[in-house]
Amino acid sequence: MKPLISIKSGGPASWAIRIACALAVGYILLWIPTRGSNSLIDTATTALTLMGAALSLNLLLGFTGQISLGHSAFFGIGTYTTAIFVTRWGWSPLKTLPVAFVVAFVVGAVVSLPALRIKGVYLALVTLALGVVFPQFIKWPKIAWLTGGARGLNDTGFKFDKNNRTYEIFGWNPWGNLRGENVKPFYFWIGIGIVAIIYLICRGLVKSRVGRSLIAIRDNSTAAAVMGVNLAVTKGIVFGLSAAMCALPGCLTAMKGSVVTPDTALLTVVGSITFLIVMVVGGAGSLWGPIIGAVVFELITEKTSDWVDPDKIPSLIRPIFSWSDTAPAGGIFALALVVLMFVAPLGLVGLWKQTIARVVSVVPRPAGSGTLDAPESSAGGIPTWRPQQEPPAGDEAE
Amino acid sequence: MSLLEVQDVTVRFGGIVALDGLSFDIEEGHICGLIGPNGAGKTTMFNVVSRIYQPARGSVRFRGEELLEVPAHGIASLGIARTFQNLALFPTMTLLENVMVGAHSQGRIGFGRAISRLGAARDNRRTRDNAGDLLNQLGLGALAFRAAAGLPFGTLKRLEIARALAARPKFLLMDEPAAGLPHGEVDGLAETIRGIRDQFDLTVLLVEHHMSMVMGISDRVVVMEFGRKIGDGTPAEIQNDQRVIDAYLGAPA
Repeated sequence: MKPLISIKSGGPASWAIRIACALAVGYILLWIPTRGSNSLIDTATTALTLMGAALSLNLLLGFTGQISLGHSAFFGIGTYTTAIFVTRWGWSPLKTLPVAFVVAFVVGAVVSLPALRIKGVYLALVTLALGVVFPQFIKWPKIAWLTGGARGLNDTGFKFDKNNRTYEIFGWNPWGNLRGENVKPFYFWIGIGIVAIIYLICRGLVKSRVGRSLIAIRDNSTAAAVMGVNLAVTKGIVFGLSAAMCALPGCLTAMKGSVVTPDTALLTVVGSITFLIVMVVGGAGSLWGPIIGAVVFELITEKTSDWVDPDKIPSLIRPIFSWSDTAPAGGIFALALVVLMFVAPLGLVGLWKQTIARVVSVVPRPAGSGTLDAPESSAGGIPTWRPQQEPPAGDEAE
Repeated sequence: MSLLEVQDVTVRFGGIVALDGLSFDIEEGHICGLIGPNGAGKTTMFNVVSRIYQPARGSVRFRGEELLEVPAHGIASLGIARTFQNLALFPTMTLLENVMVGAHSQGRIGFGRAISRLGAARDNRRTRDNAGDLLNQLGLGALAFRAAAGLPFGTLKRLEIARALAARPKFLLMDEPAAGLPHGEVDGLAETIRGIRDQFDLTVLLVEHHMSMVMGISDRVVVMEFGRKIGDGTPAEIQNDQRVIDAYLGAPA
């Protein structure tokens, strides 16, 4: 079946679509902190936290094919770096972001050393151990003077003051009230900043020679090495970078909460699994996958949070979920995961691309100095080697 | 001067000796055929040169430099590229992207420049255009934006050649390029191999079971059996060598 519309990549139609999408995203980003309710801003900030973590995991797992179940530990390193620097040494929370980035990078690169020699299930187990050990390590009495032990740390976030500037733009203030009366939009914007940084790092890598080598490692590491990809160094840097980026949303958790304990869900293995699910449901190996995944995950969590009471469940689907005595978001996502693995192994973004490809086909910019069709005899004097029959033009291969 | 000098190379897998003191040289600019029965150690030899296997003994010199001291990822930038017997492509990438990865050793964009985007767009454009030209030359231009997974075996074999050429090699190892091709396409393949040798100043080491093709395009043929060299000479000499006939070629019917 031929798609109805075809668009040239880089042509006016493709730019129009891009600009429209950018405007829509920009509008939503301004609408949430200025017009949205407090709970919506909260939900959005949590979604941004998951987004950052899932994006970092995506670089490692989705693009490079190295599994990690220890990303909750890197997330936690971010949280505790901010918490410790703010409470023990009185740093301003924003200044702890680069520190957390560096600390997590070093830890990640060190953890990647065994990861260079092992693959698949074994790598999953080694990183799982890291995720399990991290909260225990924080609770270790000998370092409780620093981490606060099992009781955690208090007052880890910003301190707002009646005399703070408010940074209004002609009386319009999308940042929230920095004098401490309404600070939720402020956290939202920090989340946006963190996600933007992570997204731009991932995008720069993926769309370059480095990104191609990462996908090559995922697809066939032997062939990648033969092409000249230094497997050990590349995997090490990607692991470190992924860990470092994952620490940033961790910092945000410490900044907006007033208490940090080692039992916070996202700092335990539950966090690792959550990041993984968000990434896979959204679409592993796609730049927008984790973003969509985090938004959908938070929306479902939010909508179903009061389903603990069976009377709150819409009557149509009440029989399915009324047995559960906890909020069913996790269950819904588990179900969605199973269904998606059959329908669209590349997640929601993959499903969207599949669907849209039936209607719109994007014609890529031709590559090479000549046209794309094989010339009758090429300039270099090489006889063109034509296949005797054209390969089948199946839609599945695309 | 010899481009590649293989001396006394021995590879063992457990108790099995895959290569047993193998020695041979390849002259610059030659197409050298490497033939022998299945299990003779031809692919093992390829894997030694591309540093996937570490031999127990011996030396492999490329333009006088000891290859066994170079890491696997350093081979490509020395000017050695290869194709694989059973395909080692990147199935989720398009044909164009596969060839772009082939040019990895030619690029200079590392993590820092990729993240900061300094020169990355120019590098992408150049790599992409070169890859497109190579695909066109091998008659794959029309498939440039198709994913590699699911295309016919013969097409993918040609893609492997394009990907290997993207590294601008001096020395190309081809592992059974004619395997799986319909009979009529083998002549075209032989033409292609000779054509790329001339255009890119290549030296080619060719493993192949398709005898008329090997004998037709090789300047020299090395015959292996059980990890040893049992014959070495021009195609005409090899075809009249009694040991080679007994071990591999068989008497003409």
